[in-house]
Amino acid sequence: MAALDLLFSGDAELWSIIWVSFRVSITAILLSLVPAIAVGFMLAMIDFPGRWMVIALFNALMAIPTVVVGLTLYLLLSRSGPFGEMHLLFSQPAMVIGQVLLCVPVLVCMSHSAFQGLDRRAWETARTLGAHCSRAAITMVCEARFALLAAVLAGFSRIISEVGCSMMVGGNILSYTRNIPTAIALETSKGEFAQGVALGLVLLLLALVLNFTLASVRGKGQLV
Amino acid sequence: MSLELNVDNLVKSFGQRKLFHVDQLRVGEGESLHLSGENGSGKTTLMKILAGLERPCSGRVMVTPKARRWWSDRIHPQVIYLHQTPYIFSGDVRDNVAYGLRLRSYSRRDVKLKVQQALAWARLEHLAEQPAYALSGGEKQRLALARAWILAPSLLLLDEPTANLDQHSVRAVSELVTQLLDKGTTVMVSSHQKNAVTDLCGRRLHLENLALQELGNAFSNELNNEPELKYYVQH
Ligand SMILES: Nc1ncnc2c1ncn2[C@@H]1O[C@H](COP(=O)(O)OP(=O)(O)O)[C@@H](O)[C@H]1O
Ligand SMILES: [Mg+2]
Repeated sequence: MAALDLLFSGDAELWSIIWVSFRVSITAILLSLVPAIAVGFMLAMIDFPGRWMVIALFNALMAIPTVVVGLTLYLLLSRSGPFGEMHLLFSQPAMVIGQVLLCVPVLVCMSHSAFQGLDRRAWETARTLGAHCSRAAITMVCEARFALLAAVLAGFSRIISEVGCSMMVGGNILSYTRNIPTAIALETSKGEFAQGVALGLVLLLLALVLNFTLASVRGKGQLV
Repeated sequence: MSLELNVDNLVKSFGQRKLFHVDQLRVGEGESLHLSGENGSGKTTLMKILAGLERPCSGRVMVTPKARRWWSDRIHPQVIYLHQTPYIFSGDVRDNVAYGLRLRSYSRRDVKLKVQQALAWARLEHLAEQPAYALSGGEKQRLALARAWILAPSLLLLDEPTANLDQHSVRAVSELVTQLLDKGTTVMVSSHQKNAVTDLCGRRLHLENLALQELGNAFSNELNNEPELKYYVQH
């Protein structure tokens, strides 16, 4: 009950945490989207020596725990690290970089299999009807749109709910780098459950909305 | 608009395995060709190479006059290849027919008008708003023909257009091909056996023993004495 009160009374602290979460994760997914889908497309379309190794590598990256990505980025960004000069540690940009690193492998792997699920004839038909390579690529994206949407949602789910990397490179500073997962971890460790439960409800609601959206567009765009 | 296709010393292999070689092939304006050969002899591969969709291992395909475009491309805009089973884009029948026009800079009104003409030509008007994936095999083949016809190609490569079609659909397709030929479009049809569509073709090409052979002209009788043609008729 205390949790619901917090949510609906417009508690400033609570909403600043939600805002940080969405701001960081949406920025990260927008930055990753086009390059990652382009890589997934090229892995599906272009046969080059060592292609399977690149695919295996991205699959492996997908399984790396978020704290390990956080640790690596921490070492790179800390004062004595190679990018220490940029003073990015414990800032939103650092969190964005971390989340980009976390969602790119998911987007690459899932968009690669989305394009793989398409037919080579789709590409050939577009090309023979006069589409330039880039235009034919856009056609392929349209044809694979449901699977690509699923990829984007999977990538977004991974970063909106990850705690390890945000905690390490963000530093959990209130109103700046404290996001939903790090706030839940902190409040729970202090024995204050109301805020944690309220934030947990937001994540749960988000997961439901995203997945129902996906299911409904998929249902309409059914294949034969 | 007269388009000429020239092939010299073309070889295609997959890995170590040679598929075929073509010493020489000239295709001029308004010709009709039947490309025959057993399954797996390389008909599809040859047609895709002619359309610029696949690369030969050596030799090249010259299509003249060259297209004037700012990008260079192996694929000539006047040469269109149609798959044995057409790929249908998502969307309705109208979207599919309009695909090629929308890539070119036509006004909305022109696109609408031409799509209407193409639908009428292929007798698909009553299906215009249907989701295209739900069409029958014969209707899909007609849709693919309309999708190409709308771009007024000079050379059309039809890959086994009547395989898997019933008698009625075969007749519909052969009527459309007849009209294309009357319009002066060059048409190459591949098929491993004779049928209503290949009967429309003048020249006969045959893929066998790793080579493309010219079997002569179906419309001239002297060639009936040629041993190669007899061989062909027996099979
Ligand atoms: N991408 C490819 N890689 C390896 N072999 C191929 C490839 N495409 C076609 N082939 C082989 O080439 C042969 C000819 O195929 P195809 O051109 O489809 O013949 P057809 O159309 O006459 O039946 C087949 O044996 C097929 O296995
Ligand atoms: Mg074939």
